[in-house]
Amino acid sequence: MRVVIAEDSVLLREGLARVLADGGFEVAGQAANADELMKIVRRFKPDVAIVDVRMPPTQTDEGARAAVEIRAEQPEVAVLLLSQVIEATHALALVSESAEGFGYLLKDRVLEIGDFLDAVRRVGRGGTAIDPEVISQLLGRKREEGPLDELTPREREVLELMAQGLSNRGICEKLFISPKTVETHVNSIFGKLGLMPTGDEHRRVLAVLAYLRA
Amino acid sequence: MTRIRWIQIALAGAGVALGVLAYRVQIDNLPNTTSLRSVGSVAAAWSFLLAGLVAWARRAPNRLGPLMIATSFALLARQFRYSHDGLVFTVFFLVGELGWALFAHVTFAYPFGRVADRLERVFLWIAYVVAIAFPLAILLVYEGTERLRYVDPFPRDNLLLVFESARAVDLLQDAFGFVAYGVLGTVFVVLVLRKFLHASPRARRVYLPLLIAAVAAALWAVLNGILTFATTPPAIVYDLFWWQVLSLIALPLAMLWGLLRARLARVHVGELVVHLEETPVDGLRDEIALALEDPTLELGLWLPERREYVDAAGTALAVPDDDGDRAVTLLEHEGAPLAVLVHDPTLRDEPKLVEAVAAAARLALVNARLHAEVRAQLETVQESRARIVTAADEERRRIERDLHDGAQQRLVALALELRSAQRHIGENGDTEVQRLLSSTADELQVAVEELRELAQGIHPGILTQGGLAHALEALAARAPLQVSVDATAERFSPEVEATAYFVACEALTNTVKHADASKASIGARRENELLVIEVADDGRGGATQGGGSGLRGLTDRVEARGGRLVVESVPGSGTRVRGEIPCAS
Repeated sequence: MRVVIAEDSVLLREGLARVLADGGFEVAGQAANADELMKIVRRFKPDVAIVDVRMPPTQTDEGARAAVEIRAEQPEVAVLLLSQVIEATHALALVSESAEGFGYLLKDRVLEIGDFLDAVRRVGRGGTAIDPEVISQLLGRKREEGPLDELTPREREVLELMAQGLSNRGICEKLFISPKTVETHVNSIFGKLGLMPTGDEHRRVLAVLAYLRA
Repeated sequence: MTRIRWIQIALAGAGVALGVLAYRVQIDNLPNTTSLRSVGSVAAAWSFLLAGLVAWARRAPNRLGPLMIATSFALLARQFRYSHDGLVFTVFFLVGELGWALFAHVTFAYPFGRVADRLERVFLWIAYVVAIAFPLAILLVYEGTERLRYVDPFPRDNLLLVFESARAVDLLQDAFGFVAYGVLGTVFVVLVLRKFLHASPRARRVYLPLLIAAVAAALWAVLNGILTFATTPPAIVYDLFWWQVLSLIALPLAMLWGLLRARLARVHVGELVVHLEETPVDGLRDEIALALEDPTLELGLWLPERREYVDAAGTALAVPDDDGDRAVTLLEHEGAPLAVLVHDPTLRDEPKLVEAVAAAARLALVNARLHAEVRAQLETVQESRARIVTAADEERRRIERDLHDGAQQRLVALALELRSAQRHIGENGDTEVQRLLSSTADELQVAVEELRELAQGIHPGILTQGGLAHALEALAARAPLQVSVDATAERFSPEVEATAYFVACEALTNTVKHADASKASIGARRENELLVIEVADDGRGGATQGGGSGLRGLTDRVEARGGRLVVESVPGSGTRVRGEIPCAS
């Protein structure tokens, strides 16, 4: 899988490149700002662009804006945004168009190398990677009592992983439970929340996020 | 006594003596005159003498006084042409019409004593030439026996006769009557009206009596010019004499009144002193304008720190050049500049009045300057307050950025290297090294999290990254009670966003700490040029803006941005904090 990295800190950029190379990725190019990023994306046509949200010159949100541009210009290139801070509404605003081939993670997540490489792979295959912090913010919101309260603790865990974009297989590995059990939990959750079951694991992320956001 | 005073006394004596002589000349030589008419013509000349002497004595540098005295002498001299003595007749017939030119000269020279207008100067040159040329021409052809107009029928010796022509004498007399009285009289009236219309409001008041007298006199001349062509002059000509005499008397008296009214105006100074007691600073200019009778007056107060003149509102005042259009009077206090009066140039001729007004207003002016200074300082303080807040905000943003993009990035990179190393060593490596690497990386990760929390507290990164709406959502999500957010997605300047966020943050903190509320709402929307941020709760209410509450600091913060903060907090029915922040873009 071909990736490019846009990150203004050289140290971190090099570190990421090494981790990704060790993980079996081909690091096709590196960029220190949004303009360079657009250039290397057009040139290398990577599977995934890993992009820091804050980059020069303004250090505000040029990475996020570049992500929108990439997705409009080359929908086949997946984008994984890395951010210093995570805020649910902002993340959902970015993912709302399409969760396919999109990821939004807190920068520290790269330290969980295994999870991080999984997320890159997942996004590269058209999947989704939403930071757990976003999901816990959504779940943590003060709301009226509702179907969410009826979920068992295990079902809640499954829901969180589902919302992060994990596939059934990913959830199995994460929770050390059998695919069969995962499926049972997923069906139960969908039933309790009144959501239409969907075979497509990519699509269900949006359904779950939409539910949590409401 | 000064030399000038002696000259004035001598001229007064001479004028009186000449007047008596002029009276005698008329009585002795004009058979159809009455003593009343003779007295009338002398009185007209004396009125100029009197007004001239007074004007000269009171306004020494002004040439108007001497000019009036000259007019008086010319008018008296005119009477001597009635003499039957050859020499006296010849000399005074020659200069007899000069009085009219001088009359016009005095009128145009009023009130400054000089004729500045070009057209008026040209007119006067023509008038002087006509006043000498025609009598001279007549004398050259007048043989002494035929009747001259306005003179008795008896013959006179003409010492200047060169070539005798009765027809020429007739023609020249007609031409003179038409040109001097008819044409020049009309032009004179037009010029006087023009002078009046071009004058400033203040000058008009000074010109008005003069205008009436001058026009009255000139209209007599014009009528006289027209009557030149009447074959048999109507009986009214006889009475026209009194029109002439009365308007001649009126003109110098009107001028004298105009010159003396400076003294009258000082009555206003007394009123000014009384009024100033209760005049607010803003009204000071109006009071001075009233006392000086100059509605165009501008008042500037000198601010030593700013080294410029400002008006009562503290706005800088551009002081014009002291020229024909505007006059400038500088006022001092204890040797330093205090104020400037920009006024009508006619006031330049009344320095004593301006001085008196300035003296009366000095205390009020010192006071007004203090006010203007305070206002100017207030402006400066407000500006610096906004700058301080901006600088503080900017600094917080900078620290947050440095933490995120500097230390935090570095620590993440470092931890990543350790994790990398850990993976490289693999399962078969030294377990002790594995454990050390793992725990160090874990510690680094904790440090990164703590650093992020710290940076968040200094300045919410999401505010920079996602804008006000997302930052408010995040704020609401962290609050321990249900908070609904309805915020515009519009981006504003970092200062405005930071202030609005600060308002929401502090107000929500207050709600959590004191209100005992179950629900709260945050609203942010644009209302024209304002960003309105509103935080409401359903708590116990009773919050006040003063005292030690965070609301005081909030008010300061919003006011520093030129906005305002309104707190509605009725006990028992919740609290609503509304901040309005100017956000003109």
